[in-house]
Amino acid sequence: MSVLAMSNIQKSFGSNHVLKDITFHVDKGEVVSIIGPSGSGKSTLLRCATFLETIDSGTITYDDKNAAETVNGKAVYAKNLNDFRHIFGLVFQNFNLFPHYSVLKNMMDAPVSVLHRDKNEVREECMALLEKMDLAGKADAYPCELSGGQQQRVSIVRALAMKPEILFFDEPTSALDPELTGEVLKVIKQLADEKMTMVIVTHEMPFARAVSDRVVFMDKGVVVEQGRPEELFGQTQNERTKQFLQNYSNT
Amino acid sequence: MTLLNIIIKMAEGLEKTCAIFFLTLLFAIPLGMIIALLRGSKFKVISAIARAYISVLRGTPLMLQLIAVTYGPYYLFGISISRNKLIPVVIAFTINYAAYFAEIYRSGIDSMPVGQYEAAQVLGYSKIQTFFKIILPQVIRRILPSLTNEIVTLVKDTSMAFTVSYQEMFTIGKQIANSQTSFVPFVVAGVFYYVFNAVVGFVMGRVEKKMSYYKI
Amino acid sequence: MKKRVIALILAALIAALTFSLAGCGSKTDTPSTDEPGTAARTMFTMGIDPEYPPFSYLGDDGTYTGFDVDVCKAVCDYLGWDFNVFAVNWDQKLIQLDNNECDCVWSGMTILDSMKESGYVISRPYFDNEQVLLVKADSGFKSSADLAGKDVAVQLGTSGESLLNDDLKDLADTFGNVVTCDSFLKCFTELEGNAVDAVFVDRPVADNYVAEHDGFVIIDEDLGAEQYGIAFRSGDAELCAQVESAIDALVANGTYAEIAAKYDDIDEGNLLFLK
Repeated sequence: MSVLAMSNIQKSFGSNHVLKDITFHVDKGEVVSIIGPSGSGKSTLLRCATFLETIDSGTITYDDKNAAETVNGKAVYAKNLNDFRHIFGLVFQNFNLFPHYSVLKNMMDAPVSVLHRDKNEVREECMALLEKMDLAGKADAYPCELSGGQQQRVSIVRALAMKPEILFFDEPTSALDPELTGEVLKVIKQLADEKMTMVIVTHEMPFARAVSDRVVFMDKGVVVEQGRPEELFGQTQNERTKQFLQNYSNT
Repeated sequence: MTLLNIIIKMAEGLEKTCAIFFLTLLFAIPLGMIIALLRGSKFKVISAIARAYISVLRGTPLMLQLIAVTYGPYYLFGISISRNKLIPVVIAFTINYAAYFAEIYRSGIDSMPVGQYEAAQVLGYSKIQTFFKIILPQVIRRILPSLTNEIVTLVKDTSMAFTVSYQEMFTIGKQIANSQTSFVPFVVAGVFYYVFNAVVGFVMGRVEKKMSYYKI
Repeated sequence: MKKRVIALILAALIAALTFSLAGCGSKTDTPSTDEPGTAARTMFTMGIDPEYPPFSYLGDDGTYTGFDVDVCKAVCDYLGWDFNVFAVNWDQKLIQLDNNECDCVWSGMTILDSMKESGYVISRPYFDNEQVLLVKADSGFKSSADLAGKDVAVQLGTSGESLLNDDLKDLADTFGNVVTCDSFLKCFTELEGNAVDAVFVDRPVADNYVAEHDGFVIIDEDLGAEQYGIAFRSGDAELCAQVESAIDALVANGTYAEIAAKYDDIDEGNLLFLK
């Protein structure tokens, strides 16, 4: 069963046609990496999937329920969009933690005030999550007191605290110093091992290869090729994919 | 009249000075926020009205606004001038300061990174929750220094209530100065304003310190 | 570079401070007036309250006019001086006079003992005045006693205000509130708009107002007799004498009576120079 299915997605910013009839799905327990050059539309695809951008036309379904469909050539969104937002979580490139909340409050606030869950129960869960992520000592710290890697790990546990069915990562290590990317990638790997459904937009090719069940290569607003990582990285026949991977390994 | 008598008489007027100050803050701080939000409205007409409001209120002297609010209703509609001058005085001060506050809020709201809105949206916060829980606390932190500036100005501006015959501290000082042919009341007034603002500065400093537990 | 700029700013500040202090203390010349006591005076600046009809006010043609202004103009013509008007801030008038912003205060000014005590040279009184209460015609107030508990407006810095603080303190205490305004026009506006019940004001000003506006009456009750005079700086006794003798000459040649005739609200019986 697909957790997320997007079909025939069109998206333009003015005259810039960013997504050209993209069809894309993610199955339960699957880890999908999206790679491609900058401007290929991979981040926009993620932002459309999380409703941060509205699509021009196409269909978005979560758990086979329509969040957006196309009527008379125009996208129409469901009224209860917030119910869909509870299905997914998003980890931003630059964390976007709430600076005025402590680490624990960053995690607890949405489950308590959005999902109206019991405060003590949420606190216990969050503390367990922090423990698991080696952040137990940081529960009362403020984001400004943490390193970039710690902040990104906090933003991952903040997303997990909402118990999403699927977790999106938008270039989760791009804003980090190289020596800090490791701790974040380790956490994502750990989640993959636990069969968390994830979509990762990334430039870390070795990581994408190691962690993914499927890799999607996008360029100029279309999905050029997708497949198992060893196929795509090892024996692709597609010229554009080859060229991209070659450019990448050169830099 | 001894110095002590002058101080006591003027201190009586200080009560009215404080009334202008606190009531203006009480009403202008929320009103300014409403105007700032209207100014940022998607509806062009509403935004234009809010802009016009700010432009007129900031572009004309407070003294003129005091006269307009106090005597305008009588000249235009024949409505009796209020005997309790505190009412028109606070209205005039409120609409004037709300315009300044609105611009300060707007600068604070504009300076918020879009990522904060996006993070809140993805986590499922409603628009109202996002504003009050995520945006507003950070905006207040950002604008506090400019807000302090305006509040200090407000303390000094209270003396303008004299224009419409409201007997606040400075008016009483002028009366004494006039009847005693003495400069002493002006010195006393200066000290009063300075001490008042020193207290304002201290309180705002404490609030700023309390809010600076995190970096922006 | 930075140090030089700071030094320059400091120097400018000190210069400005010295200048202004000198202005306060030693009565240096300002462009609007001549050196006090100079024999060859060419210019004379009268200080007026610009909102005090019929003695001094802004006329329909946009220039200052009124009985006092016209007399002063005639005095200047007679003495061959250039005539100038300076609108003072009434509650600061004597400080402004000391500051050489004007050569005299001449604007329906009540002579107070405190002025003489402070050393100002005061001319011979030229007008018999009394303070009266102006009320709305339909208010039914007939005497000051009717105003017990009511609100009364008075202009800050006028003799009326001084009276209410001193000689008429007992009466003032029966009023609900004494509201001080910064001009008589504001006092009248407050009365018109029902914010106060009466205005305590000089008789000629009240007469003038009643003549020009319907629906107001003066309570016929003499509350305080007083006289108008012209105030000069303490060293200007000679200047005062010059002005007084010029007025005498104007009385003698009939100009003074002519000017008085232009102002219906000024009762000639109260003009002391004509007696």
